[in-house]
Amino acid sequence: MSQRATDALFQSLFLLTDIRVMLRETAPLHQLSAEEKETAGKLLKSIRRQVDILEEELI
Amino acid sequence: MRCAGDIEARQVDETAINIDPIQVGGRLTADAMKAVIAYGDGYSVCDNCRKPFRLDYIKKPPIADFHADLASWVEMDACRVVPGARRGFQAVCQGLVQKGDPVILTALSHYTEFIAAESVGAVPREIPKDEKNHITPDAAAETIERVIKTEGKAPALLFVEGVDYQFGNHHDIKGIAKVAHSYDIPVLYNGAYTVGILPVSGRDLGVDFVIGSGHKSMAAPAPSGLVATTAEYAERIFATTAVKGDQTGRTFGIKEIAMMGCTLMGVTVMGMMASFPHVKERVLAWDEELAKSRVIIDALLAIEGTKILSDMPREHTLTRIDTRESFDRVAETHKKRGFFFTSALGKRGIAGVIPGATKIWKFNTYGMTKAQAEYTAGAFLDIATENGLTVND
Repeated sequence: MSQRATDALFQSLFLLTDIRVMLRETAPLHQLSAEEKETAGKLLKSIRRQVDILEEELI
Repeated sequence: MRCAGDIEARQVDETAINIDPIQVGGRLTADAMKAVIAYGDGYSVCDNCRKPFRLDYIKKPPIADFHADLASWVEMDACRVVPGARRGFQAVCQGLVQKGDPVILTALSHYTEFIAAESVGAVPREIPKDEKNHITPDAAAETIERVIKTEGKAPALLFVEGVDYQFGNHHDIKGIAKVAHSYDIPVLYNGAYTVGILPVSGRDLGVDFVIGSGHKSMAAPAPSGLVATTAEYAERIFATTAVKGDQTGRTFGIKEIAMMGCTLMGVTVMGMMASFPHVKERVLAWDEELAKSRVIIDALLAIEGTKILSDMPREHTLTRIDTRESFDRVAETHKKRGFFFTSALGKRGIAGVIPGATKIWKFNTYGMTKAQAEYTAGAFLDIATENGLTVND
C-alpha cells in the first residue's frame, strides 16, 4: 500500500477541482485577472508536484 | 468529450454562464465537488456507523453534528436530511395527514406539494393568488373558512412557499402562519428557493416545518434536502418503527418510518455537508446577489417592450419575464423563429433558457460574479440591438 500515492492522487484531484471552479467563475471567456493567473499558476505547480509523487511511488 | 461510454461530460457551467431558473443555487462549491470525489461510492458514509445504526447518529464523518447544526441554522428544534424537498413534504404529510383530510396549498405551489398530499389521500385545496401574484393572509383565511364549510373539517396542514417558483415573489409567511394557527392548522414553509441562498428562521416566521432543497438552493448533489420542525411535532414526524416480523420476531431499532430508516447515505449528504460552511456564509451576502440581479434586470428593461412579471424592484434572483413585445417580435420573422434567441445567447456563452422561448420565460442570476452579471446584461442588449429592437438609455 502506498499512502503517499493515494494522498497524492486525491490531492491532485482536489487541486484540479479548484481549477474547475476557476473556469466556472470566469466563464464564458476565461479571461483571468492577474490575481487569478497567479492563483492558477500556484495550483498548477502544486498539481505537478502531486503527479511527481505519483510517478515516484507507482512507476 | 465523454466521461464514460456514451455519457457526455457535462460542462455547462465551465463553458457558459448558466441562468437556468432551477439549477443555479444547487451548483456545487469546490468543497462539495471534493467530497463527491472522496465519497462517490454507494454506502460511503457507513464505514463508522455504530449502534443505534442510524444516519443522524454517525459521528465520523460528523453527520450527527451536521443534523444539529442544520436545525439550529434554520432555528428549529430537529432536522433530518431527505432526498429532496419533495420527500420532506411527503414525510410531513405522512405524519400529520389522514386519508380524506383537506390540505391547503396555494395557487403557486409546486407540483410535488400536490403529489405529497395525494400520496396520503389528502384533498388538496388552493389559496388563490391575488392580482399581484401574492398569497396573502386574507386569502388564506378565506380559503380555510371555505374548506371548513365545504369539507366539514379543518385542514390538517397548510403549505406555503417562502418564494414561489413561478414568479420568485416573497409572500407574507408570518401573516399566513398566524391565520393558520388561529385555526390550529400547522404550517409547512416551502423554502426550496430560500433555504441556502438567503437567511431563513423558522422561529421568526412562526412556522411548524421548514423544508429546504439541497440541490436547488444548498449547493448540494441531487436528490438532497432537509425537513426541520419544532419539538412539538418532531415525535410525530420522526416516529420510530414498532413493527415486528411475525416469523423471525425481528424488530428494527430506532429507524424512522417517514425517513424509511436512513436517507442520504453517501455523496448527497457529504456534498451537502461540505458546502454547508459556504452556504452559511453566502446567505449573508444576499444583498450582493440582488444587486447583480438588478444589473441584468435594468438591461432587459431597457429593451423596449420587455416587461418583468415578478415583483419590482426584484427581491429575488429568480425572475419571470415577458418578451412578447420584444424578442418574440423578432422571432416572428427570424429564419430560426423562436430559436434565434437561445441560439444568440448560446453563441455568447449564456445557457439555461428553454430553447425556443421568446414569450414568457424565467431566469435566475444567483451565484454569478459581478463581471458575469455585466457580461450577461451586455449580451441581452447586444442581441436586442443586432435584431433591430430599440434599446433605451
